[in-house]
Amino acid sequence: MTRFVRSYSWELLLVVLIVVAGIWSSNLSPYFLDPVNLLTSAQFFVIFSLMAFGLFPVVVHGEIDISLASTLAVGSVMFGQLAVAGVPLIVALPIVLLATGILGAINGVLVAVAGLPSLAVTLGTLGAYRGLAYILAGDTGITGIPAEYRTLGSTWVGIVPLAVLLVLVVAAAFWVLMATTPFGRYSYALGNNSAASTMAGAPVARTRIAAYTLAGVMSGLAGLVWVSQYQSARGDNADGTILFVLTAVVLGGVSIKGGSGRAVGVLLAIILLGTIQTGMKLANVPGTSQTLVIGALLIGSIGIPSALQLLRRRFGVRRPAS
Amino acid sequence: MNGTLIADWRERLGLTGGAAALKVRFLGVVVFLLLLCVAFSILSPRFFTFDNGRSILFSAAILMIAAVGQALVVLTGNLDLSVGSIMGLSAYVIYDIAGQFVELKPFVMVMAIALGAVLGLINGFLVAVLNIPSIVATLGTLSIYRGFTSFYANAQEVTSGTLPGWMRDLATGTVLGLPTYVWVAVLVVLIVGMALRYLPWGRRIYAYGSNSKAAHFYGLNSTQIVLGSYVGAGIIAAFAGVLLGAQVGNINSLLANGYELQVLAAVVIGGVSIWGGTGSVYGAAIGAIVLATINNGLVLLQVQEFYRLLIQGVAIVLAVAVDAIVRNKVQSATSRRSITEVKS
Repeated sequence: MTRFVRSYSWELLLVVLIVVAGIWSSNLSPYFLDPVNLLTSAQFFVIFSLMAFGLFPVVVHGEIDISLASTLAVGSVMFGQLAVAGVPLIVALPIVLLATGILGAINGVLVAVAGLPSLAVTLGTLGAYRGLAYILAGDTGITGIPAEYRTLGSTWVGIVPLAVLLVLVVAAAFWVLMATTPFGRYSYALGNNSAASTMAGAPVARTRIAAYTLAGVMSGLAGLVWVSQYQSARGDNADGTILFVLTAVVLGGVSIKGGSGRAVGVLLAIILLGTIQTGMKLANVPGTSQTLVIGALLIGSIGIPSALQLLRRRFGVRRPAS
Repeated sequence: MNGTLIADWRERLGLTGGAAALKVRFLGVVVFLLLLCVAFSILSPRFFTFDNGRSILFSAAILMIAAVGQALVVLTGNLDLSVGSIMGLSAYVIYDIAGQFVELKPFVMVMAIALGAVLGLINGFLVAVLNIPSIVATLGTLSIYRGFTSFYANAQEVTSGTLPGWMRDLATGTVLGLPTYVWVAVLVVLIVGMALRYLPWGRRIYAYGSNSKAAHFYGLNSTQIVLGSYVGAGIIAAFAGVLLGAQVGNINSLLANGYELQVLAAVVIGGVSIWGGTGSVYGAAIGAIVLATINNGLVLLQVQEFYRLLIQGVAIVLAVAVDAIVRNKVQSATSRRSITEVKS
C-alpha cells in the first residue's frame, strides 16, 4: 500500500485537487454536480484530451511538439471538405488520419534523423501547417457539415456523450501502449538517456518518428471531433490551444525533460483543468482571467516541490538524525 | 553541399576551429536577406523604393527590440515564451498608471524598466533558482501575466493619450528620413550587442550558454547569469511593449498576444542557436528584418496571407537545419575525440 502511494503520489495529489476543485465548484452552483451537467461540460475538453494524449509520448521522449494545433486545423479542414464533397466518413477517416500522420512524421524525421531541436522544428511547422490549413480552407472556411460527420459530437450513450467515451478509450489505449509495449519501454528509455539507448541498440530514430506520427494522427482525430462539435472547419481552428494541452501534459506528471509520466496522470490533469475551468465559468470569471489560474497551477505543480526540496537542502542538515 | 561551402570558406579565411562556420552562419542570414530583396525587387517594381524600405524597417523595429531581449535568454540555452505577455502587461499597466497619476507621466520609461525587471526576475527565479525547465516556467508566466493583465484591465481599454507628448511623437516621428522607432531599435541592438561583447556580464552569458558545466567548474555563478539574462530580457520586452502601445494607440488586455512565436522565429532565423552559446543580437535583429521583408514582399505581390505562414515556417526549419550543420562543424573542429561521437 505504501509502495502504491509512493509511486502514484502525483496521481493521488491530482485526485485530491480534483475533489477540492469539485467541492469548490459545487459550492458555487448547485447544478455543478448534476451528472448530465458534468458530462456535458466534459465534452468541451475532448479535443484537448486527444491532443494531450498525442503529445504525451513525445514529451516522454524529452521532445516537444507545438505544431499539433496546426495539424488539427489541417485535419478538420480536410474532414470538412471531404464531408461536403459527399465522401462517406469511413473512407474519409483513414485518408485524413494518414495525412495528419504524415505531417507528424515530417516533424519526427526532422527531429530524429536530421537531429534538429524539436522546439524550433515544430515552431516552423506550426506556421507551415497553419498556412496549409488556410490554403486548403480558403477565406470562408467550410460549413454545412452533413449529419454523418456530426455523429461523434451529437450522440449520447445513455447519459455519456460519445466523444467522452472516445477519450476514455484513447486513455486506456495510451496506458497499454506506454506501459506494456516495446514502443512504450523504448520511449521511457530514450527519454531518460537517448545516448545510452542508442548504444544499447534501441531503435531511437524509429521510436521518435513513431511518436510524432502518432501525435499527428491524434490531432487528426481531434480534428474530426472539432468538425462534429462545431459543425464547421476553418483555417484558424484551435489556434493557441497548444498551451493548454502542454499544461495538461506537464501537470499530469510527465516530466518535460523526458523519461517519466503516465497516461492516467494526463487524464487526471485534464479532469482537474476541466473542473477548475467549469467552476470558474460558474463563478463568472472571464475566460482570459482563467488563464492566470491555469498558469499558476502549472508553475505551482513543478515549482512547489522543487522549492520544498531547496528549503530542505538548505535547512535539513540541522535537523537531528532520528 | 553546405559542408564543402563551409570548408571552402574556412580555408579562404585561414581560420581553424568553428569561428569560420559561425561567421558563415551570420553571413548566411545577411545573404538570405539580400537574396529576398533581389527576388522581391525583380517580382515587384514597388519593392525597391526608399519608402518601402522605410516601411519594412518601421514594421520590423519593435520585433527587433523584442528579439534582442529573447536572444539574451536563448544564448543561455533557455527560452522566454512570456515575452508577448510581458509586453502586454507592461504597456497596459503603465499607460493606466500614467493616466491616473499625472505627476508620474515623465517617468513612464523608468516604470516600464522597473516593471519589466520584476517580471523578468520572476521568470529567472523560476528557471535559475527553482530549476523549472524554462519552457514550462515561461509557459506558465505567459498565462499568468496575460491573465493578470486581463484581470487588471477588466475589459477596459487605455489609450496612448495618457502618455507624455514626446513619447507619442516618438511613435510617429522621423529622424534623418527614418522613423524614430528604427533608430531606437538600432540603438537597443547596438547597446546590448556591445554589452554582450565587452562587459563581463555578456561574456559570462556566452560562456554559460556554450558549456554550462565548464562555466560552473570555472567558478561562474550560473544562477546569477540566468537571472541576469531574464531580467535583461524582461526589461527589453517591457520597453518594446510600451513602444508598441504608443504605436497602436488603443490598448486592450490582448496587446502583443501570441508575439512570442514571431520573436522566437526572428531569433532562430537570425542564427542564435537554440542550444545556446552561439549567435548574436545583430543576427536576431536581422532575423526580425527578414520576417518583415517576407511580409512586405508577399503583400506587394498580393500573395495571400496564408502563404506567409508557410514560407515563414519553412524558413525557420531551414535556419535550424543550417544551425545543426554549423554546430557539427564547430564540434568536430573543437573536439579531438569526434570518433567516439555517437551518430544519432
